Amino acid sequence: MSTYYAGLFADIGILFLGAMSVYIILATGQLSLGNAGFMGIGAYVASFLTVEMQWPLTAALIAAALAAAAIGIVVGFPALRLKGIYLAIATLGFGEMVRSFLLNFDRMGGSGGFHGMKHVSLEYIWLWGGGIFVLIVLLERSRLWLEMRAVHDDETAANLVGLNTTATKVGAFGFGAAVAAVSGGLFAHHHVYIEPGNFGFERSIDFVLAVILGGSTVGAGAVVGAGLLVLLPEWLRFLADWRLAAFGVLLVLVLLTRRQGILDRPLLDKLSLRRARA
Amino acid sequence: MLEMHKLLIGGLMTAALVSGAQVAQAQNQVNIGAIVPSSGPFAEWGRSNTVTLKMLEKEVNDAGGVNGAKLNIVILDDAAKPAQAANNMRKLAGDDKVLAVAGPLTSSACEVTFPVANELKTVTTSQASSKPGVAKANRPWAFRNTVDEGILAKTSVPYFTKTFGAKQVAIIYDAKDAVSTSIATKIMPGVFTEAGVKVINGDAPISFNTGDLDVSAQVTKLKSMNPDGIVIGADYSQAITVIREMKRQGLMKPVIGGTPLISSAILKAAPEIPVVAPATFYSTMDAPKAKKFVANLQPLLRNTSGLPKEIEPSMYDANIYEIVSMYIDAVKKSGVTGKAENLDADRTKIRDYMANLKGYEGFSGAIHFGEDGDAIKNFFIVQGQNGAWETKVTGCSAAGGGC
Amino acid sequence: MLLQQLVNGLTLGAVYTLVALSFSLVMGILSVLNIAIGELFMLGGFIGFAVIASQLPLPVALVVAMAGACTVSIIIQKIAYEPLRDAPMITPMLSTLGFSIILQNIVTNIWGSDPLQLPSELFDADFTIGPVRIGFMQLVVIGITIVLVAAVAFLVQRTAAGRALRAIAENRDVARLLGVSVDKTTLLAFGISGLLAGAAGVLISLHYSAITPYIGVDIGLKAIAVMVIGGTARVWGALLAGPLIGIAEVMTIAYGGSQIRDFIVYGLMILILLLRPQGLLGGPRSDVGQRV
Repeated sequence: MSTYYAGLFADIGILFLGAMSVYIILATGQLSLGNAGFMGIGAYVASFLTVEMQWPLTAALIAAALAAAAIGIVVGFPALRLKGIYLAIATLGFGEMVRSFLLNFDRMGGSGGFHGMKHVSLEYIWLWGGGIFVLIVLLERSRLWLEMRAVHDDETAANLVGLNTTATKVGAFGFGAAVAAVSGGLFAHHHVYIEPGNFGFERSIDFVLAVILGGSTVGAGAVVGAGLLVLLPEWLRFLADWRLAAFGVLLVLVLLTRRQGILDRPLLDKLSLRRARA
Repeated sequence: MLEMHKLLIGGLMTAALVSGAQVAQAQNQVNIGAIVPSSGPFAEWGRSNTVTLKMLEKEVNDAGGVNGAKLNIVILDDAAKPAQAANNMRKLAGDDKVLAVAGPLTSSACEVTFPVANELKTVTTSQASSKPGVAKANRPWAFRNTVDEGILAKTSVPYFTKTFGAKQVAIIYDAKDAVSTSIATKIMPGVFTEAGVKVINGDAPISFNTGDLDVSAQVTKLKSMNPDGIVIGADYSQAITVIREMKRQGLMKPVIGGTPLISSAILKAAPEIPVVAPATFYSTMDAPKAKKFVANLQPLLRNTSGLPKEIEPSMYDANIYEIVSMYIDAVKKSGVTGKAENLDADRTKIRDYMANLKGYEGFSGAIHFGEDGDAIKNFFIVQGQNGAWETKVTGCSAAGGGC
Repeated sequence: MLLQQLVNGLTLGAVYTLVALSFSLVMGILSVLNIAIGELFMLGGFIGFAVIASQLPLPVALVVAMAGACTVSIIIQKIAYEPLRDAPMITPMLSTLGFSIILQNIVTNIWGSDPLQLPSELFDADFTIGPVRIGFMQLVVIGITIVLVAAVAFLVQRTAAGRALRAIAENRDVARLLGVSVDKTTLLAFGISGLLAGAAGVLISLHYSAITPYIGVDIGLKAIAVMVIGGTARVWGALLAGPLIGIAEVMTIAYGGSQIRDFIVYGLMILILLLRPQGLLGGPRSDVGQRV
């Protein structure tokens, strides 16, 4: 593989993890527009640990994930009071607050950013990507997932049949935040430089886009979505000045023609059936 | 969906064809790469950079090419996004096999692209980044054709103090932007204090954020401090917002800042407020080489769709022109073969040429690079007033003085 | 200085009010976040500039820009919202995002990315009352904002079209059963939303007289916060919340904390969401059962 595609696949892996963080939270019917905030927390914590504390990267990523999970749970509780678009807006506010905080956090460079991380390999990024993907596929086959979907479909009913909706929803926030933090830690160690501007609203929206474009009903959708978001702008280079507008047009077209996303259950079944026949 | 697939596949094939063609021709041509932000918030800079490079390519090829080989500049758009800039670098060095790269423009993009340049052992030189220490942290393959803001301030501040008899100044800056923050909070307060000028809000400079339209509260506060001069740490597009507001509120005090202020647009913001800033090039400067450059480039820029009709060549156009010209000079003078099998050796030769550059004539005079990878060249302290820049002091960024 | 800062805050607040109301019309009634509103605002600004630059008076600029933004808003409604009406709310939100990317690109290609500045000093006139300097454009901005809010309030509360809007906000299916034309009313909501964003764009671009294709992004996010604080159920909420946030921002800057400004605004928004989710002015909430 050329170094160019290696770079692109690293970006896809990082975006895929970010998208998974949204996917997990979305599975319980909650939309987060602030996951770049968790990503930023993960990036800064992991970088601090590897650069200033000389921790090995894997340990630093796990610590960053745990820290973000704790914050995710703290955010998850008040989020219980909110639903739908209002929850989304509140998480958007959370993301902006984190960015604003990092901008003023001089200990980690403020607007000047933070350096000193060691570059990680593409394989390492996808080891995390693959590991978390497997974890989520296993989760999708568990009883817990059914509970999450039940909360998604009808929270009141889920409550009535005795499901602990609070634990499910808050837990999803914690897990999602942890995955976003891993994505952030890997981002920091892939680009070996971070600044608060990396973790703004645009990044949160990218995560959501990857999930929705790829298919929000199956975990594998996020791979497709992340791939498209990274590769499309590259493939559209021949359009020169109109590259971004063309990206916007394609985005609208995909949403109009496949509102459930590119991948969904029926398509996956068809694909695997064909493979089984072959 | 079907249409979309077709479009995608079409795009892919076009991309494949283009890069295939480039590799096939690589034997008898010299490939140089460039990373410019042709879309996104700095599109205008990137697009005028593109026109500049196309002009240079034509000039060189019309004059017989580089050592008989055709010059081919591969220009990629990074949309001012750091991750795209880093991938551009990978594509240029890895797929397009360029000898060296010019760009990227923003400091944020340089921060993530320079490490890639070191990994791939290919020289890259930024045309605009002036955030302190970015090339220094990425030796030996990263360079910047820009001058350290700290050195420039040592000449601009004394001129400003003397000319306007400033006893006390106040600071306002763009807190979201790293270069602006370092100019306004680290460099300027120190230099002004050294010059015996009081910095009224040195402990708590007033800030705004990139993208803010309204800076009225900040300017009202500045005004209440009663300063003799205003330090603006911002790029010119944000500085225009501040200067407009200063004029609106009647705060008609002279302004000083770093190189990011230089542009023709800022001259229109409030012509009666003097703006002092350092520059290594401006479109009306009085030097034969620069005049010729502007005369050739300006009509091309103005005839390009997607660029405003009244656009003038910017300092970054001049910088990127110098960068690629230096690379061409390196190919001619240091025995670069341009053959695929010698790529690594050729790239090393270009790096050595850049590191040991002597007497290359740029628009402001001779250019060479310091230990930290930043350019050492002549600069001008210019004052913008009544719609035009005028050189007031000429200096050199070398530690001892003369360039 | 305090009085001067109040004037600054009120002007900024007026802008927030208009953009917030623009968000709120679509969101309060259809529960959809139209992300492209920031870009409608930006587009209004550029159109207004173009009109003024060709020597036409301010009212013409205002009308043309409002009409332009309204037209684009209706196109967005037809392409990005209408076909996705029954989809989960994220999908139309993202398709409006597609439009915001397209609009930024088109405007960059037409007008460039450098700040567009007014050539003359058309609107720089001002007068002073005691220590306070008030610009002519500041009065225009605040005045037109009040007029537009009043007009929207009248429309929503006193007219048949307004009743239809409120009925749909309450319950779309019931409204349809009662004979409300959902299609027409949705179009109306998007149309007015576009008119307001366009008006805000003109006023602001002429007042601050320097605009770029990316000015809509930050103002858009702030306006969402203002919308939430004012509540989407009452039109007057935005008129209260806009100046409130404008003054809060200005005071944070004036008394030491310019860096924590955004932190405070979004913190306040989250606080309101948690403690008083229906917004300062109260009223029913329309989206309680909304699923994503």
